[in-house]
Amino acid sequence: MKIIKSAGKPEKTGKARSGRKKRASQRDARGRKISSVFLSPSVLGVLVFFVLPFFVVIFYSVVDNPISHQFVFFDNFKMVFNNAAFRQAASNTMKFSLIAVPLAVVLSLMLAMLLDSKMPFKSQFRTFFLTPMMVPIASIVLIWQVLFHYNGMVNDMTALFGAGKIDWLKSDHAQVVIIVLFLWKNLGYNMILFMAALSSIPKDILEVAVLESAKPWQIFVHIKIRYLSSTLLFVTIMSLINSFKVFREIYLLTDDYPYPTVYMMQHFMNNTFSNLDYQRLSAAAIMMSIVMVVIIGILFLAENHFGRDVEG
Amino acid sequence: MKIRKWFMLGIVSLLVFALSGCGEKEQEAPEAAEDKNENREDYLYVAEYEELKKDGYSTNNITIGKDGQAFFSGVKDGEVKLFSQKMGGEVEEVPVELEENTAIGAIGTDLEGNLLLGLITYSEVLDSLTTAPENVIVRKITADGTVLKDIDIGKSLINDPEFYIQALLEDKDENYYISTGQKVFVLKPNGEVYFEVDAGGYISNVFSMKGEKTVVANYGDMGWEMREVDLAGKALKALDTPITFEYGIYQSGGTDADILYTMGTKLYSYNLGENEPTEILNWVDSDIDSGNLRGFSILEDGKVAAVSMDLSSEEGKAELAILTKKNRSEIPEKIVLTYGTTHIPYFVKTDVVAFNKQSDKYRIEIKEYGEGDKDYETMLNLWTADMSSGNGPDIIDMYYCPVGLQELVSMGVVEDLNPYFDADAEVDREDFVDSAMKAYELDGKLYAIMRCFGLATVAGKVSDVGEGDTWTLDDVFALMESKDSDVELFQYTTKYNALQMMMQVNGDMFVSEDGTCNFESEEFRKILEFANRFPKEFQYDPTGASDIEKIREGKLLLVEETVTSVQYYQLCEAKFGEPVNLIGYPTSGESGILISPNGTTAAMNVNSKNKEGVWEFFKFLMAEEQQENLQSANSGFPIMRSALEKQFEKDMQPEYYEDTDGTQKEKPKGVWSTGSSGEVTIDVYAATQEQVDSIKQMIEIAQNTQIDSKMLDIIMEEAQSYFDGQKSVEEVSALIQNRIQIYISEKR
Repeated sequence: MKIIKSAGKPEKTGKARSGRKKRASQRDARGRKISSVFLSPSVLGVLVFFVLPFFVVIFYSVVDNPISHQFVFFDNFKMVFNNAAFRQAASNTMKFSLIAVPLAVVLSLMLAMLLDSKMPFKSQFRTFFLTPMMVPIASIVLIWQVLFHYNGMVNDMTALFGAGKIDWLKSDHAQVVIIVLFLWKNLGYNMILFMAALSSIPKDILEVAVLESAKPWQIFVHIKIRYLSSTLLFVTIMSLINSFKVFREIYLLTDDYPYPTVYMMQHFMNNTFSNLDYQRLSAAAIMMSIVMVVIIGILFLAENHFGRDVEG
Repeated sequence: MKIRKWFMLGIVSLLVFALSGCGEKEQEAPEAAEDKNENREDYLYVAEYEELKKDGYSTNNITIGKDGQAFFSGVKDGEVKLFSQKMGGEVEEVPVELEENTAIGAIGTDLEGNLLLGLITYSEVLDSLTTAPENVIVRKITADGTVLKDIDIGKSLINDPEFYIQALLEDKDENYYISTGQKVFVLKPNGEVYFEVDAGGYISNVFSMKGEKTVVANYGDMGWEMREVDLAGKALKALDTPITFEYGIYQSGGTDADILYTMGTKLYSYNLGENEPTEILNWVDSDIDSGNLRGFSILEDGKVAAVSMDLSSEEGKAELAILTKKNRSEIPEKIVLTYGTTHIPYFVKTDVVAFNKQSDKYRIEIKEYGEGDKDYETMLNLWTADMSSGNGPDIIDMYYCPVGLQELVSMGVVEDLNPYFDADAEVDREDFVDSAMKAYELDGKLYAIMRCFGLATVAGKVSDVGEGDTWTLDDVFALMESKDSDVELFQYTTKYNALQMMMQVNGDMFVSEDGTCNFESEEFRKILEFANRFPKEFQYDPTGASDIEKIREGKLLLVEETVTSVQYYQLCEAKFGEPVNLIGYPTSGESGILISPNGTTAAMNVNSKNKEGVWEFFKFLMAEEQQENLQSANSGFPIMRSALEKQFEKDMQPEYYEDTDGTQKEKPKGVWSTGSSGEVTIDVYAATQEQVDSIKQMIEIAQNTQIDSKMLDIIMEEAQSYFDGQKSVEEVSALIQNRIQIYISEKR
């Protein structure tokens, strides 16, 4: 009987289990269907506004022009790569990003550290550094023009000390002006991100480190930087993207064909678009996105390497 | 669980409702659009034409009667008659007894459809130059000529020897309105002047608004204005309308509308208080050149009557057209070609209408990107979007093209026309003036055809500029040095004008084919220095010496001219009063005379589905008949060699008249006036072989050079700091070099 009972019990349990499994899988299938229905508008949007244009860009990059659609394989890429203006733009953008992005990250981190310490007027300083974010771009450009125009305030000031006039926006100094503008505009936002990250570092670890007689720089390098690694990555990527977007300011300050040192990739893109040269624009966009993917990939690898023990 | 289910159901219902609402809206919109389109697309006004001409008489004033009948005056050997003609009928004379030396100055109508004749009696015979108006009579007659009223106004309206009547009208109280120049005279029923009012600008028409208000259409300080004649206040009172009026023909809308008007190529009706006018038709679709219209009205049966006067031929051609609204399905089908332009040049309208009239297979419709007073950016975006998407017009206008030929070619939208010449046995490229054909040639490919051209050049006295074909800036500097400081090189020229002028001619010499530019060269710096010699701005002095006086006194050395005919060349000679050399703009050795398109100039869209039709249109422009009959003497030189030769022969052929003593005397070919206030009037006689040879030489060496507009913008922008004295010529040229080099590199 026992045997029978015991033999019957698993049979019953197995049926019940398979029934439950069946119900669960039915529920899952239904859930998937419902999710698909809810997701479909988003998927459709992504397809129409991201995936499709992406393929259109690829298509344009391998045809001779958008009208005749003659397949030219990599000719547009070769043409763009050999173009002196493209090279100049790529070199300027790279130089700008190499200088401006580390500066934006380091300076904002320093500011965040400063404001994280016990200092007076912390809130006022925070607001002060955030104000550039609230100023419309046109006003920023206007301010910069008033300052750095050939007949602007900076030249008026330097003239008081007997210095000659400098054409800040149309000389080799132009990139310096643009870097200053970039930092002025972006430091506040980066600083807030770092402050948030600093405040989320577990206090007990910092206290233990202090008790263990760790020096401030040791705490900074071995604890804070480790905990800030994901924020560092995010800030770097955002700054990198913003460094590409500095075109807006340069364009408004110096028009579509500026002094060569501030001629950026976006100038090349924008001007080829204005000239209806979609094939070269597409080729340049693809080349630029490949470089961006590589850079961001490297940044992710770095973050994985330095921040894995903290996150893990 | 139940609550969750109901909640989910609620959300889903809401979503379905919202989405279905969206769908419904989307479905409705096309229907509404379709309805709207249906109105536009489904019908067309088809015109019948009747030439208004009585043998031997030249047609003058034309007006439309109540039933679509045209009334016009004709003059033959000083004899004036009034005629009427119905569509398909014969020309009939309307008996009007006129005193000796009396002309019909204007024909108007009253509210009942009777005719009003403005009769002007002159002191001498009509065809004499010494005539002077002496008396004005307003005569009211029925359509068959029965005189209803004769009002002798006398001399009270005549205030200058050039007196004419522009418009004539009677209101419901039998007051009369006569407009002449800028003034409107309001006369009481007995002919006594009630008051006169100055409109402050040229009056194009005076018309009645549904018999209630009398409106004056004039061009004043505020642009085109419609103002009501206020009899009580003896003044003009602005009409309160939300719409703005532009250059056009404004008329009474009859009983159906307050105003009927033509603006651009379209006919509109408008009622006061409405926010928008109603578009009735596009004249081009009915093969009517709106530039030739003299009047139009909507008849009781809904047809549209229009009278026009085409002055392109020497005699002029008056026409009555009756337009009947028909479904497109009733009309023999033609292949439609589109002519895309940002603005419609008047000669394009004329050529398109002429082509449509003679072609059984094709019909050209004009697509105006700037229609409706669009701003430049919007217009450019529309044009660009069409071109880049392959939906551009079949024919691309090059006269008002927003981008240069180079850009069009790099966009790949223009077709090389050389293969069409090669494949067509009827046209041979060799038959056309080489310099004109090369104007739109790039890398051996011909991209556009122009119907006729002018020669842009600089004219100076031989004693100043010498007899050479070209000159350099050093020659100009030497000339300036040899003159006193108060001697002007060009009149009313600023630093910017001078720089622009020099760059237009010399711009391409600083750009090499290998993609480098040389704006730091000595030549370019010289151009900047040359431009810097001119004032930053000029003060126009209306009381000062005229350009002609200055030239003759040696106070003005050079004049920019665009020579479009032999007569114009003769006029230049007369202007200078001594031997003249149209030497061209200063260059570094090449010719400084430029080919300038002066008529329809168009390219073929590479994406056109009707390239044969486009080529037919180009052949029409290049055809012997079109080339030999350009709109008027000042329309430019034909591009066909044989037509050009014929024109030269005609220009050299003297015309004679018999004097009172029976001797043959050379008759002037025309009377031309020149000078800033038209103070020099010359009778142009037959040209000499020498004059024609000079023009031939100019045509042969003329070239087409153009600077990219972006390059010019950069140059003008940077040159400002040099002109302001803030930077040296070296600094500015280096800056220009840097910026333009980027531009050139980018485009390669």
